Amino acid sequence: MIDFMQVNPGLWVILAGLICAVMPASPLRKFLAIAAPVFAAVMIFNIYDNTEVLAGQFEIGGVTLTTLRIDNLSVVWGYLFCLAGLINAIYALHEKSWITDSSALVYTGAAIAGVLSGDMLSLFVFWELTAISSVFLVWQGGQHAYAAGIRYLVIQVLSGVLLLAGAVIYANSQGGDFTFGYIGVDAPGGWLLLIAMGIKAGFPMLHMWMQDAYPKASITGTVILASFTTKFAIYALARAFPGTDILIWIGCIMTCFPVFFAVIENDLRRVLSFSLNNQLGFMVAGIGIGTTMAMNGVVGQVFVHVIFKGLLFMSIGAVMYRTGTAKASELGGLFRSMPYTTVLCLIGAGSIAAFPLLAAFVTKAMILSAALEEHLWIPFAMMLFASAGVMEHSGIKVPHFTFFAHDSGRRVKEAPWNMLVAMSLAAVLCIVLAWPWGGYELLYSIMPYETDYKPYTWDHVVFQLQLLFAAIFAFTLLKRYKFYPAEKRAEIVDADILYRRVGKGVAVWTDAIWTRLSARMKTLRATAGRHIGRKLYHAFSPAGSLSESAPSGLAALMTASVLILVLIFAYVAGA
Amino acid sequence: MTTPEKPKMDDIHPAARPFLFLGETKVKRNFIWFPLAGLIIASILGVLHPQKHPAPFEMIGDWPIPGSWAIFGFLAYSFIVFSAPVLFRLLAKPEDYYGEGGLPDPDYSTDPDITGEAHHD
Repeated sequence: MIDFMQVNPGLWVILAGLICAVMPASPLRKFLAIAAPVFAAVMIFNIYDNTEVLAGQFEIGGVTLTTLRIDNLSVVWGYLFCLAGLINAIYALHEKSWITDSSALVYTGAAIAGVLSGDMLSLFVFWELTAISSVFLVWQGGQHAYAAGIRYLVIQVLSGVLLLAGAVIYANSQGGDFTFGYIGVDAPGGWLLLIAMGIKAGFPMLHMWMQDAYPKASITGTVILASFTTKFAIYALARAFPGTDILIWIGCIMTCFPVFFAVIENDLRRVLSFSLNNQLGFMVAGIGIGTTMAMNGVVGQVFVHVIFKGLLFMSIGAVMYRTGTAKASELGGLFRSMPYTTVLCLIGAGSIAAFPLLAAFVTKAMILSAALEEHLWIPFAMMLFASAGVMEHSGIKVPHFTFFAHDSGRRVKEAPWNMLVAMSLAAVLCIVLAWPWGGYELLYSIMPYETDYKPYTWDHVVFQLQLLFAAIFAFTLLKRYKFYPAEKRAEIVDADILYRRVGKGVAVWTDAIWTRLSARMKTLRATAGRHIGRKLYHAFSPAGSLSESAPSGLAALMTASVLILVLIFAYVAGA
Repeated sequence: MTTPEKPKMDDIHPAARPFLFLGETKVKRNFIWFPLAGLIIASILGVLHPQKHPAPFEMIGDWPIPGSWAIFGFLAYSFIVFSAPVLFRLLAKPEDYYGEGGLPDPDYSTDPDITGEAHHD
């Protein structure tokens, strides 16, 4: 008999995804897509009793696994991923694709199960499962997404391999204990784990998979992808590396550099991917600061970020669904055709820019205040600069070039009803969770530490409005005097040029050289091969010299050799 | 004397019709006064409600600058925009630079320019 209270709730969602893979009836798949995350949330609610819950423990190969841990940190991510799964499922109701339904559920379930895992081996399994299940969402984007999907998969799996290597080294130093808790960079394997998590979190120079794959995925795929992988990594960082100084600087660089790419990018889904990277920077910096206020800010920012970033991706997805493009140079004036989507997108844009009464206003300020409290003036200035950048790319550029600006002349239908419902749900949450009279307290109540932070103080509201109005004024002024650059079709190269162009060139060159050398050295290789083969035959064949002293022949000799090598390796590793 | 041509209402969403003035050149041109007014009001309020914990670069001597975030926001935004042409020259390549083609995919796109027929209309 299965004890439901011992089962990681994410596994039910994965199970629903596997059922979807063999279920031909689309309505039943859609029912499962909505019901599964709701069921998982109900299970989390039933299992968690405001104290740390450890369950689903069993031993395998001498290692104790804790497949379920719900505490004040993981519970927030658990609920958040269930909520995101529900909104995404509603948004995808129109899409009759069993691949999308199935992979989205497995991906959502893996993310939920991952954040609710108590040990690093379970974490690794779900870490890799998120990669494998989500690549199908990239490939659903069509033929042009195939190569990007492969690159995405390779980088994600590499992240998992590094995570496993780091986990094994760390656990070895802890007497075989794989419990996933605070690690720090000074611990054995700490750096490997940090890099593994950094790949998924979009650290600078490790971030390119995001801007490569997300804009090429299917419309619903991009929305789903933007919800889980990076936030899963932020959870892992918050668990393992709070208060790690280097993360402050990594996070601050993450907040700033995407701003410069976003301003020249024409593909609005890519702009939002850079924007996602920028928002992750605030979270990483907050984890680096590591104080209770900063960690509360990180948790709050993650929660609202999934909602408002999802809302922005959903609104651009709706535009793409109707017009067939997400290029700023091909859009404009769509408020005439899609007024509801326009309003919902503006709520998302206001939320990410941290307008008072909208989501990020009550969370991002906690991270900035924590930097001020710790006298981190330069990181504070970098994050303030990035806040103006957020206003530029997500607050102004995305809604302006899509719904206003010049009229592209496109007259299309409003978004389908299910997309409007999903976007409305997200928009309502953006307002409710920042509402000054009881709303933000609801958000603060799920934060891991007690807080008495008051976001609606005169100076906070006034100075935030100064920043935002100044940015909008600068935009209108620069636009009026034609200093604002026109949107142009182009491929903006990023650090991925290192492997997509330089690396590929080196590989092609090496292959060409090898082919030529191979042709020239054919005779030499054949002669050498024959000679070595003859020698080996004389040594190892039944009639060979080694068989005379080793009657069991080649197999026994090789087995013994391998055993000796393993013993030497084990001895050296143990020492 | 010719009368200005009225926009066709048939292809405008009913909920958008009261807001068509947002597309008028005069409205777009005068929109600049809205953020400017907001900026001035917020800066005046910054005098009345100064920051409790300003950073050192937000102060002149012992005095917090009342419009420090306004100055910061304006300069930061302008810097980002002015850097764009230089960055574009450095980083922009043709859309088929990687040989994977641009977006959207002709096989999946509903772009009327590519398919030759309007989808979802």
